[in-house]
Amino acid sequence: MTETERVRDMHKRMWVMLVLALVLALVSAPLGGCTATSDGDGTPADAGDEPKEPYVVGAVLSLTGAQSGLGGPEKNAIDMEVARINEEGGINGHPLEVIIEDDASDVDQAIARTTKLIEQDGVVAIIGSTGTGQSMAMRDVIDAAGIPQVSLAGSLVITKDFDPLVFQTPWSNALVVDTTLEYLKAEGHTKVGLITEDTGFGKDGQALVNETAADYGLEVVSDQVFKPADTDMTGQLTVIKGAGADVVLMWSSVAASSIVPKNMAQLGMDIPLVGSHGIARQEFVDSAADAAEGVVMFAGKILAPEAYGVGSESYEAATAFIDRYTETYGEAPTNTFAGHAYDGLYLVVEALKRLDEGFTSADLRDEIEKTSGFAGIGGVFTFSATDHNGMTADDLVGYVASGGAWTLLE
Amino acid sequence: METSELLQLAIAGLKNGSIYALLALGFTIVYAATNVINFAQGEFYMLGGMFAVYAFTQFELPLLVSVPLAVLVVAGIGMLFETLAIRPRKDAEPMALIIITVGGSLVFASLARHAFGSDALPLPEFTAGPSFLFAGAAIERQTVWIWGIVLVTVAGLTFLYSKTRLGRAMRACMQNREAARLMGIDTARVVMISFGLAAALGAVAGVAVTPLTSTRFDIGAGIAVKGFAAAILGGLGSPLAAVAGGLLLGLIEQAVIPFSSALKDVVALGVLLAVLFLRPQGLFRRARREKM
Repeated sequence: MTETERVRDMHKRMWVMLVLALVLALVSAPLGGCTATSDGDGTPADAGDEPKEPYVVGAVLSLTGAQSGLGGPEKNAIDMEVARINEEGGINGHPLEVIIEDDASDVDQAIARTTKLIEQDGVVAIIGSTGTGQSMAMRDVIDAAGIPQVSLAGSLVITKDFDPLVFQTPWSNALVVDTTLEYLKAEGHTKVGLITEDTGFGKDGQALVNETAADYGLEVVSDQVFKPADTDMTGQLTVIKGAGADVVLMWSSVAASSIVPKNMAQLGMDIPLVGSHGIARQEFVDSAADAAEGVVMFAGKILAPEAYGVGSESYEAATAFIDRYTETYGEAPTNTFAGHAYDGLYLVVEALKRLDEGFTSADLRDEIEKTSGFAGIGGVFTFSATDHNGMTADDLVGYVASGGAWTLLE
Repeated sequence: METSELLQLAIAGLKNGSIYALLALGFTIVYAATNVINFAQGEFYMLGGMFAVYAFTQFELPLLVSVPLAVLVVAGIGMLFETLAIRPRKDAEPMALIIITVGGSLVFASLARHAFGSDALPLPEFTAGPSFLFAGAAIERQTVWIWGIVLVTVAGLTFLYSKTRLGRAMRACMQNREAARLMGIDTARVVMISFGLAAALGAVAGVAVTPLTSTRFDIGAGIAVKGFAAAILGGLGSPLAAVAGGLLLGLIEQAVIPFSSALKDVVALGVLLAVLFLRPQGLFRRARREKM
């Protein structure tokens, strides 16, 4: 082999390696192109008859990008429950197939994935997306196709900007803002230093707090914003401190939220920090470490199932779910997001069970709206023609970070 | 607004600015050696934090060991990246090489997600303890570390460039790579070392910030934008200019916060655009004749 041949050969090998590496990157994520099918291993119990057509449901989740911490547990919950439903015979003998698409926490990807699910896969309903921005962006496609959407995102706008096709499983921001402001009032606070993240969820909370604070005798003395990519909020907190706030209220869900309590400790701010249900996950407490101690937030009861009331239907559903989740994934769900996906899936599944063969997407939508008293993990759902969130303040409970975990308040 | 608040904002600006400065130095060093903007620079920042957390939690090595180890590993990754991805195409258009670095950035972020998961991972502060108080403003201990690291880095780089053989070779490459090669300088080695050095600086920044922010597989791109902006402000020239660009960007951001924290990034990047229009060579660099 001559020198030039050897060099050329070496270059060729390097190219092969580079191409392999790129392929790996494409397969593995950020471009949001991956599809996973969740139909479990189970076969319908009445396999004696000829197998019925599967019911195909689509799910658009944020498995990568800024909201991957939320989308991951959601996918886990759906995978696990779909396998269980099929082992138990599917839905009226029809196997259930859920096609999960990744929107990479990106609005445009969410639209593209939804279009794909509807046009290529012919799904009967869409679960998702994880985030508010994506859920709202998908609406045009949903409306054009006329199929129901069950969003897993927590902003009020999703159900307030009412669309008869759109339902929502987390407690809306309106519910949580009311409960939280009530708590601030009860604690004797009057001056709120507000800090919110620059996302759909954060802006929704920011607008609600500003609108309703006065009803609780509270004044927003400083209104600050941070970006999900920010690494330091001492500037915003300095302004809040200077404005004479007696409590910091943080409406956020991204990982950067954990920097706020740390910065407060560094600045020597000894006023309390109250957060939103967006931080209802162990990751927040772990990242903020000692600074998390004493942070308060209101969320659903899954983090402390005894709050449902031992023996209640929701308690049984939640503890059984936690047990299955722990058995399947080796750890209990450390946040509320797996529960939102569970609720979203079963709202669709229960409606499908009640429908006869040959139903239309309009029938499915109507049937989901008829959901009444469904004991899910987020709470007890009762939809109506005007309420597609379906929960009440009773479904929320206060938590305080203590000893490195979320514990029940009081 | 009280003086102590202004001082606190200035401290925050200098803290963030120091981080931008370390990233800007990485951009500047690679640009000097190759005329390429390395968009994988932010991933070196992310990987620095990741490896430090990994060594600290999985192997239970003390911080004193995990931190330098992480920086060395990332420097190695930087050189490997250059050898495998950049060198085979070294004679290509800079644009082709820039696209390769964009691809590299995606590869690094994806691999990190698979290796370390998608959760934010924390690291304890280098020296725990309450903040120092200075005229009513608080300075965290970690911030003092960050400032110290920037000072040592700038001093080290200045020494490297002015006093060592390698540094002189790097400066020769900066001026004219072809001429440097004809003078007997091993330019391939200079480029590889430049990538290693830039990766190490990115990793140092990432490791120094992780105790304050935790780290995550997807933080590289966001911080790279800031570092890139700082490098452009500084003019992609001397290490001191890069540091000045970083500090200036950090201070501008904090200056906007009392008026509207939502507009912080908009104003900071607006200043960057204005600089590009009015002084394309950067704020701290004399206009140079177009390269032939």
